[in-house]
Amino acid sequence: MSALKIPKLTFWRTITAIIFLAGIYACYLRFVQGWQASTNLTDTQPWGFWVGFSTLCGVGLSAGGFGLAAAVYLLGMERYRPILKASILLSFLGYTTVCMGMIYELGLPWRIWHPMIYWNPRSVLFDVALCVMTYTTVLTLEFSPSLVEKIPWKGVREFYLHWHHRALVALVLAGVLLSSMHQSFLGGLFLIAKGKVYPLWYSPYLTTMFYLSAIPAGIAMLIIALYLCVRSLNVKLEFGLLRDLSQVMGLLLAVYTVFRFLDLSRNHATQYFFVHRKETLYFWLEILLLIVVPLTLLSIKKVRNTPNLLYWTCASVVMGFMANRLNVSITAVDAMTGANYVPKWPELALTGAVITAAVVAFRLAVIYLDILPKYEQKKVRWVVSGDATAQA
Amino acid sequence: MEKRKAILVDIKRCVGCQACEQACQQSHGFPVQHPTNLNDVALTFVEQKGEKFVRRMCLHCEEPACASACLVGALQKSALGPVTYDTSKCMGCRYCMIACPQGVPKYEWSKLVPYVQKCNMCAERVQAGGKPQCVEACPVEASTFGDREELLKEAWNRIRSDSSYIPRIYGTEEFGGTDVLYISDVAFDDLGFVKPANGAQPLPNLSAAALSETPTVVLVGGSMLAALYWITQRRKDVATAEVHDKKERS
Repeated sequence: MSALKIPKLTFWRTITAIIFLAGIYACYLRFVQGWQASTNLTDTQPWGFWVGFSTLCGVGLSAGGFGLAAAVYLLGMERYRPILKASILLSFLGYTTVCMGMIYELGLPWRIWHPMIYWNPRSVLFDVALCVMTYTTVLTLEFSPSLVEKIPWKGVREFYLHWHHRALVALVLAGVLLSSMHQSFLGGLFLIAKGKVYPLWYSPYLTTMFYLSAIPAGIAMLIIALYLCVRSLNVKLEFGLLRDLSQVMGLLLAVYTVFRFLDLSRNHATQYFFVHRKETLYFWLEILLLIVVPLTLLSIKKVRNTPNLLYWTCASVVMGFMANRLNVSITAVDAMTGANYVPKWPELALTGAVITAAVVAFRLAVIYLDILPKYEQKKVRWVVSGDATAQA
Repeated sequence: MEKRKAILVDIKRCVGCQACEQACQQSHGFPVQHPTNLNDVALTFVEQKGEKFVRRMCLHCEEPACASACLVGALQKSALGPVTYDTSKCMGCRYCMIACPQGVPKYEWSKLVPYVQKCNMCAERVQAGGKPQCVEACPVEASTFGDREELLKEAWNRIRSDSSYIPRIYGTEEFGGTDVLYISDVAFDDLGFVKPANGAQPLPNLSAAALSETPTVVLVGGSMLAALYWITQRRKDVATAEVHDKKERS
């Protein structure tokens, strides 16, 4: 009688439901009870977790899309084409998350459109806002064919795809430039706050540091997403692709490492390496997760060839990256202003809910759209070189 | 153009009566109180430092970091001197609070429609030729208002005629110069004055330096990417042509 089937109560569905419920309650606290009920933000720490995590990490971890688009369309690395759509989707959802985050981060979110008409080009944040707005549009357009190809009317579909194809290279080029700009500008935000950022993180080259760390982190995020797709969905991927991606990531991380330490010594920040302060601990935690652990692991052949271990290597990169962004925006500022900020739970819950929504959207998109190649019937996990398949 | 105005605060003269605080709070309709820090209902306050009283307020920098940071230009440096705030433009991003080296802009965290609060040197009164409320309320002329040039002369006169003053005016070059000037008979470092992180250079120069490279990077980067794309396409074309040739020959 009932055509509507109630979804089975699985572990992950329960977790998702709890996160959403907590998010809804946090939403109520933020918009009905106000800032003091929902956040620990103060005049000395006005940005906190929402800007540090939702915005800085959100944008940074979405850097995979422009990297892969550049590799395939501009550099002709055709072998990465099977994962191109997934990387665009990941970035698109990442930027959507960041834009959603603005709704609760801004004090007056209904004025989110103001930067479009009130311009202050001297402001780094203005440039970030403009780039993010434009790039989110570019990403929407880059992603759109995946939806359009599901339109049942052939005429509409082909008309759109025809014009899309012609504009694509321009879109990709614009996307690469816009991404490069705002990924660096996010670091540039803190340049003006010299004297309010602890020396281990302040540098006139914060822009470069943010750019160089965003790309490997974006790739790490992409590998994680693809790994999970293969593990939990019917996705068919050649493991060699991820292995090669991780090599690129390792190379970029090594480049970042060199520049990071050159920069630290140039800014005479090395004297703070072993100071007895809690910032020192956070600094080494960041270095450990973002640089030492992944570079060590990637140098081991077994790790590079084992999906599970590669996944954890990338997880370390992502966590190290988050540590870096939170250090710049919270640890470094707290150290100088004495804010002693610890986020309140609704801050975490709201961000968590928005990110979970993006994860659910990613999963649904992979299931219902043609994002990644899939097995016709039974899944056999990883494809290893050609037609041979293996269990990971 | 009208002459740049300024406030001169003489720490030696200040008796700590808090009349400036109260005048400010009354004129803004804030509850009258004596706070321990600047906040969204206290735009100036008198801080006791040992035996001395230091009036804290927005310094109205010549090149304000807050105005440079504000992405929608809600904060502006006016020609007369006051750094003003336009509530109709602000979107509540709070970047001004990050940018200000003194932590002057404060946020109305307790409100559901929160705005930034900061001293605007009573811009409307100054525009009409008047004085800021706080200066008018001062019974001992510890705060004086006037043309910046004149006040600088006056400050040097006081320093020269009384050897107990520190021979320095805070605000002549700090943060690239400010329109609130301080003189004192106790070293500024001991009174909790912020040591400018960028010396006499205005803080906005730091972000300007990074932004100025953008056009070059975009132009060079854009051309390089376009060139890479061209090479990629050319290679593909050559490869297809070669395959085609081979087929024809056989």
